[in-house]
Amino acid sequence: MTVIDFLNFYIVPGIVLGSIYALGAVGITLVFAILRYAHLAHGDLATLGAFLALAMVQLLGMPVMAALPFVILLTAAVAVGIDRVFYDAFRERPKIITVMSSLGIALMIRAIVQVVWGVDTQTYSRGLVRPEDYFGLRLRDREIYTVIAMIALVVGLQMFLSRSKWGKAMRAMSDNPNLALLSGIDNRKVVMLTWVISGGLCAAAGVFLGLNTELKPMMGWSMLLPMFAAAILGGVGRVEGAVLGGLIVGIAEELSVLVLPSEYKAAMAFAILLVMLLVRPTGLLRGKVL
Amino acid sequence: MNVLMNMQDLVGGYGEADILQGVSMVVHEKEIVVIVGPNGAGKSTAMKAVFGLLNIRGGSIRFDGDDITGWAPNRIVQRGICYVPQVDNIFREMSIHENLEMGAFLRKGDLSAGYDRIYTLFPDLKERRKTLAGNLSGGQRQMVAMGRALMLDPKLLLLDEPTAGLSPKYMEQIFQISRDVRDTGVAILLVEQHAKQALAFADRGYVLASGANRHEGTGAELLADREVADMFLGG
Repeated sequence: MTVIDFLNFYIVPGIVLGSIYALGAVGITLVFAILRYAHLAHGDLATLGAFLALAMVQLLGMPVMAALPFVILLTAAVAVGIDRVFYDAFRERPKIITVMSSLGIALMIRAIVQVVWGVDTQTYSRGLVRPEDYFGLRLRDREIYTVIAMIALVVGLQMFLSRSKWGKAMRAMSDNPNLALLSGIDNRKVVMLTWVISGGLCAAAGVFLGLNTELKPMMGWSMLLPMFAAAILGGVGRVEGAVLGGLIVGIAEELSVLVLPSEYKAAMAFAILLVMLLVRPTGLLRGKVL
Repeated sequence: MNVLMNMQDLVGGYGEADILQGVSMVVHEKEIVVIVGPNGAGKSTAMKAVFGLLNIRGGSIRFDGDDITGWAPNRIVQRGICYVPQVDNIFREMSIHENLEMGAFLRKGDLSAGYDRIYTLFPDLKERRKTLAGNLSGGQRQMVAMGRALMLDPKLLLLDEPTAGLSPKYMEQIFQISRDVRDTGVAILLVEQHAKQALAFADRGYVLASGANRHEGTGAELLADREVADMFLGG
């Protein structure tokens, strides 16, 4: 196998898949760091985003990429709503209660998707897309969009977190919640902002997964483990770590078919998660241990 | 001097148990007041009561003309009292400058005068303003913590054992800075383990024991008091 084949067959799909994982993992890491629980409905929230985009494509005839900004806003609103109606009631209770209720939310979202859109596999557009040749690298437009959108969203988020007053307030709440409250930072606004960001990014992950593969009610749920592996691999609370972790998990899954039957692809994320928790629970970029 | 904070016969604690069993103290404007006493005397508890972190079951706290008994901490912050906890009192993953910015979170408008004031008090911090606070030495962290609290321009600053774990050199420096802060017009109420040094530097002091007042007076008076010395100054 030549180098260019290796890149085309393993590394390019790995980076695309990794970018999708990264978008979800960033939200998981933010929720983990600021709200301090594992959000198990994150995968199904991505499924909802993917199907909302499908509705816009089918009903309004919009191109997927044009629907994306609306889907991001809609899903962000749904995430805020779920927090207000469900998670907010458990804010002062042990975190495990919220974790379990997020599992219930995951099942609820999936049931709604199945009722509204059915259980069959669907796609945004029919027909095969031929990749274009870029000096031997064979890339599809949707693959390029995925990676560029991931980079743009994450860079935008990083600028927000490092420059703006409310972005810094989010970091302060993640760093030292008691001191943030003593400083007069409004916890409720920070929580809402966290859901807007992680819900929006989650929707993008779902849409790009649907664009690069196909839409199924289980699509997000099966992405949950790799997203958690990515967040923990990068270090909880580290946005750049979640991106790095996402790319590593994505590439590792694609490379695993070189040595393992492809049915075991999904086991790679599990193996990475297990090894990281045993060897270096703070992750590659020294995140929190919760 | 005008009375700034007046605590009268305060009774209260964290849960059901009353740690404070009738504590009274007064802080005047531009005054450094130290609370000393043996372990378990309720020193930190008395200070936290001022900041609204306690269940108060009796007595009252007046501050600058208002009855603030039972107010929530965020309301007390806005009224002009800032609190520096003993531990975890900085944002480790944020730069010195960002720590100050978070301290001024409730302030609107231009903060540059506020930054200038803090950097004049703590010249060491100005040089290292981009450094992550978690990478600083213990004494410098304490300066960041005080700087963060001072960004809101409080009338009363509460310091919970600011010299705990610091070398004598830094302890002296923190005391000196506290005097500088007082000279800019801020009253300070602090809890100290290092009773001798603290009484020597404070304007006045209170000795608490078992959740109640035992002695009070100027630093020098308390240092000279036989009973205070016998009780816990180590002769």
